Amino acid sequence: MSHHNTPVDIHDEENYDPTVWVPKAHSHGTKGLWKTFWVLLALTIADVILYFTMPPSMGRNVLFIFLGVVKAAFIVYSFMHLTFEHKGLKMSIVLPMIFVVYLIAFMLKEASFWNYLNW
Amino acid sequence: MSNNAVSTTSTWAGGKSPFKVSYGKLMMWFFLLSDAFTFSSLLVGYGAVRYSFPSADEAMMEQVRQDIPFGTDVHHMFEHTEGGFVGHMVNEGVFAETHWPAPELVFNHFPGHHLHWPLMFVSLMTLILILSSVTMVLAVEAGQRMEKKKVELYMLLTIIGGFMFLGCQAWEWTKFIGEGAKLYTNPFGPVTFAALFFLVTGFHGFHVLSGVVINIVIYINTILGTYEKRGHYEMVEKTGLYWHFVDLVWVFVFTFFYLI
Repeated sequence: MSHHNTPVDIHDEENYDPTVWVPKAHSHGTKGLWKTFWVLLALTIADVILYFTMPPSMGRNVLFIFLGVVKAAFIVYSFMHLTFEHKGLKMSIVLPMIFVVYLIAFMLKEASFWNYLNW
Repeated sequence: MSNNAVSTTSTWAGGKSPFKVSYGKLMMWFFLLSDAFTFSSLLVGYGAVRYSFPSADEAMMEQVRQDIPFGTDVHHMFEHTEGGFVGHMVNEGVFAETHWPAPELVFNHFPGHHLHWPLMFVSLMTLILILSSVTMVLAVEAGQRMEKKKVELYMLLTIIGGFMFLGCQAWEWTKFIGEGAKLYTNPFGPVTFAALFFLVTGFHGFHVLSGVVINIVIYINTILGTYEKRGHYEMVEKTGLYWHFVDLVWVFVFTFFYLI
């Protein structure tokens, strides 16, 4: 660890000081970011068109949620740069989402009993 | 060998960052993961309550769409009906406590006129938030190239976008409340419809508000040259993560409240 009287090299991987250490930043350009913008815009327009052209059904809801997940994936991987992060960080963020899938499955089963409650 | 020397041979033995990421950024990611769970609970809970009620009858909805096509001046059309457009829908049984209202008949206002423009205003709000996400990520990118002036410009645009979104939400809430929507009652359908709308869009809106406040702090620090002196603009990236997350949540609020 660096001695405190000498200036700390914030990018030093050999003499690592966790309070200041930060990896060297690299720009990945703006082309991919604009592509993500157009994808998000197109999917949102598709949402609104589907709402008015497709009769309501559970299948349509699943389609809306699927399009939402696609939009979320573009935001996380492109805007939030997750695609450029370490594999371990990617897995730490993406894998726990299984709990949300579990919650949905749980509620689909349990909520059918809510019809018997008067609220 | 100094006393502080630690093994750097193994990933998890200390002495280096296992994920090659700074402490602050890692914690921001984990915070956002926990916040994702919070919003998932709210939205999945909304879905469960929503589908413990039937939807509006489709034949009835077809009739409404024929009678009131896109662009109808609803103010003029229901001038002499008590309660106007909403009152008419209640009289016709299109809005009733027994079924969930179709979002196109609830969210059909647009500033500046009384025309029936279903879902157009919320689409505009979505566009504003996506655009502010783009300016945010451009600020992050400029920071990676240490371009102070560009960071300042894009942070300012992001803050303006945030205020525009909050203004839109305030306008929409005002309209909604003015039509009789409260936490304990609403003319559109089940009590939980408006209650959950206020709870979830309010919780998201408060995230946007805190995001704008944090962005203003980062903007001021950028102007003062704090990050220039520090040698990196990672604070911009960290606040950017939060801002993009708020945009991500809006994607699902839009899906659940305005489409489903």
